[in-house]
Amino acid sequence: MEDIAYSVHPILVTLVGAVLGAGYFAFLRWQTQVGSVNISLLIGAIAGAAGATLLTAPLGYCMFQSDQKSEDIMVGWIAVALGLMLTLNIFSSLLWRYFRGQRLLPRGDTTPGAFRGRFGLVYALAALSPTILVLIFFVYLPMFDTLRFSTFLARFGAPRTRFICVSNFSRMLSDVDYHSNLFLSFALSFGIIIIAMSLALLIASMLNQPIRGASLYRTLLIWPYAISPIVAGSIFGLLLGTESGIVNRALDLLFGAKVPWLVSIPAAQISVVLASVWNVIGFNILFYTAGLQTIPKDLLESASIDGASAWQRFARITFPLLSPFTFFLIVTNTIYAFFDTFGLIFVLTRGGPTESTFTAMYRVYVTGILASDIGKSTAQSLILFLIVVGITIVQFRVGQRRVQYGNY
Amino acid sequence: MIGRFARKLFILAVALGALGPALAQDMIELEAWVAFSDHRYDWAVDTAERFNALQDDIHVEMVSVVDYDTIVNNYTLGREDGDYPEIVQLFDAALQFAVDSDWFSFAEEIIAGREEVLGHPVNFDDIIPVISNYYTVDGVWASVAWNTSTPIMYYNVDLLEQAGITELPQTWAEVLDACVALQPLVDDGTISACASWPFSGWFIEQWLAQQNEYMVNNENGRAARATEFNLDTDAYRAIAQFYRDLYSNGYFIFEGQDQWGPPTQNFISGKVAILMSSSAAARAVSEGAAETGFRLDTTGMVYNQDAPSGWVGNILGGATMWISNGLEPAVEDAAMAFLLFFSNTENSASWHTASGYVPVRNSSIELLQNLAPGNEILWDIPSGARVDIEADDWYAAFPNFLTASTQLGNSTVNNATRGSTYGTFQQSRPYYNGLVEDYMLNGGDLDAMIMDTNATLTELLQEYNFLFADE
Repeated sequence: MEDIAYSVHPILVTLVGAVLGAGYFAFLRWQTQVGSVNISLLIGAIAGAAGATLLTAPLGYCMFQSDQKSEDIMVGWIAVALGLMLTLNIFSSLLWRYFRGQRLLPRGDTTPGAFRGRFGLVYALAALSPTILVLIFFVYLPMFDTLRFSTFLARFGAPRTRFICVSNFSRMLSDVDYHSNLFLSFALSFGIIIIAMSLALLIASMLNQPIRGASLYRTLLIWPYAISPIVAGSIFGLLLGTESGIVNRALDLLFGAKVPWLVSIPAAQISVVLASVWNVIGFNILFYTAGLQTIPKDLLESASIDGASAWQRFARITFPLLSPFTFFLIVTNTIYAFFDTFGLIFVLTRGGPTESTFTAMYRVYVTGILASDIGKSTAQSLILFLIVVGITIVQFRVGQRRVQYGNY
Repeated sequence: MIGRFARKLFILAVALGALGPALAQDMIELEAWVAFSDHRYDWAVDTAERFNALQDDIHVEMVSVVDYDTIVNNYTLGREDGDYPEIVQLFDAALQFAVDSDWFSFAEEIIAGREEVLGHPVNFDDIIPVISNYYTVDGVWASVAWNTSTPIMYYNVDLLEQAGITELPQTWAEVLDACVALQPLVDDGTISACASWPFSGWFIEQWLAQQNEYMVNNENGRAARATEFNLDTDAYRAIAQFYRDLYSNGYFIFEGQDQWGPPTQNFISGKVAILMSSSAAARAVSEGAAETGFRLDTTGMVYNQDAPSGWVGNILGGATMWISNGLEPAVEDAAMAFLLFFSNTENSASWHTASGYVPVRNSSIELLQNLAPGNEILWDIPSGARVDIEADDWYAAFPNFLTASTQLGNSTVNNATRGSTYGTFQQSRPYYNGLVEDYMLNGGDLDAMIMDTNATLTELLQEYNFLFADE
């Protein structure tokens, strides 16, 4: 330890964490007025120190060494911040449960009859083990590998790897191309989610009318979701080609004009959004159709008798009662738009023209799979993971306030 | 009683289970991955079946994988998991990686000086030199040539004549002149534009070679391992400018990076007069032109008339067959025997007529020039794709198929035309192709763009070298 020179010493990093932790817990103590001040400060400092070291110590505090660039140090502080968010949340919720005299771990569902008795736990674990094993081997271990690889210069088939600390991350801080990839991901995802959800709600509302052959329409409308994004991309490729595409053929006959759908800006971006919407909309229709059937008819009828217009019935009754479905669909559509559209983009535009449809996930695919450059691509995928986790947390926070579950 | 009987039955079953594989051990099962799924895959399956019929103890199974890039990725991942084929088709861009990965046995080392393997003659000297040269690594013949191609020009002669053009364009300037002459046909709606072709990095590599320029240092990585990119050249600038001239004047229909289908369709359907594509498209384009009803003619890939070197030559493209290492000697020999059959004189000729890929053997060209009556060697599949010809000389009937062989035959073999070899080939292609795309569509400061991309690509290359190169 002594012969390594640091621009920010690990002890300082730990101290900063401890001070921030103690400060945050002091704030919570002041806010709640529950529990001992001294214990709050002590546990807060411990939680803060743990948070500051959680992601930096396993890497030997390499990002704070004096030979690292300023971007690496910045990544180091971001890692400290992420660690703090995690530990401070966990420790504070546990500590205040303790202060309030609650059980530290919330009691689960204690419905009588479920896995009780001497061997209850054993039976429960045995029943759960297939799921747990699948999760360990197919989710957690690969996830751990992803974390590990993100700090390496590594390629498939290479005889050696090289530990490069957080360079894969700090490179992204200064890479303007990557920034535009990220921005594009947000913009396209926003477009996909808004259009796919509003259109799906409209179609589902129409399907909910008593019309002949509704089940046939329903099947046909849901069907695009059964198609993989790659195939959806191929279909739209045939439709949207500049010269040979069916759409331009029709436009040419009708108006004598052709739109370079896949090779100009913003047409290519619109094409990607529309193709993705087409691909995912069946899923949304499925859930909205199911949702609409849960809405009590008498509620709508009585509103109608009271003189509510169709729009008022929709805005005041139907839409609020659908909010759990809307919330669920926003989360799943965000995940689809961020992670699943790269196959479609690969077939449709290859990220072009001039990288105008090059999303961050497509970058992960191109870097990791096409170019075998796994160190960089795992780092990029972790950034995406953090972003989607962040969005989901925000959605849950907002959702808990707005969504109305059951009890009608 | 029943218990004892059941136990005997069980022991018998176990014994048979152990014996079964031992009895079947004589059969050598080979898996071969190829990156085709169309008529070219049908040809490969057909040829493998003809090979399987020759003996009882070797069975080759063809597996179709989507495309060149995917086959490299799948093989790489398979290698990590220990599940990979004995034979795999790898394209030119994967050459350095194939060598660096240490996953393959070189053909020449398997053959080890033998004249034949399991009865299939080697006859290495028969392979056209420019082809054997490309796939020779450090003086050792590495993989077996199968599908070899080179870019050529396809012209709609009817349209050219309508525009008053009598000589087929050979240079960039002549293409631009032809486009000026064709403009009235565009204006009156006869055609959509002058030209359309796949926007592929492969053409950029070809045009650099034609101008005697290297893509990477150390003579394209042929003299020593490449360590730096070499994009800051007049030759590369000229390519970007040629595209810019074509596009900004509305002569060129751009269908997106690496889209091969739509531009070919544009040409076949008579919407453009000029197509540049792989010679491997000769079969499909010939059939398409005949169906639409226009006269087709071909020349070698157009070149930069202003290059100080003039036209030096073209690189060959396409892919070759590699044999995974670590196989039992008998399995290795079986794989080698199959590949020798796969690329023998008759099959190489048949493959050429089926696709348009260049015959890899001189004897195949001779065979096609002197066909015996009945021409049984020609690919015969039930789909009706068979070509029946009257002439003894196949090339007299199908002169467009000779254009590619002529172009490669006339090429000077040096380290520019042997093509570049370096580890990040696949990764770099979208960069140097994307730069030209960007400049073509939007213009801008070409020098700055080149400096930027050159630095990025050099960094990636050096990272690769750090992980792979011998220390």
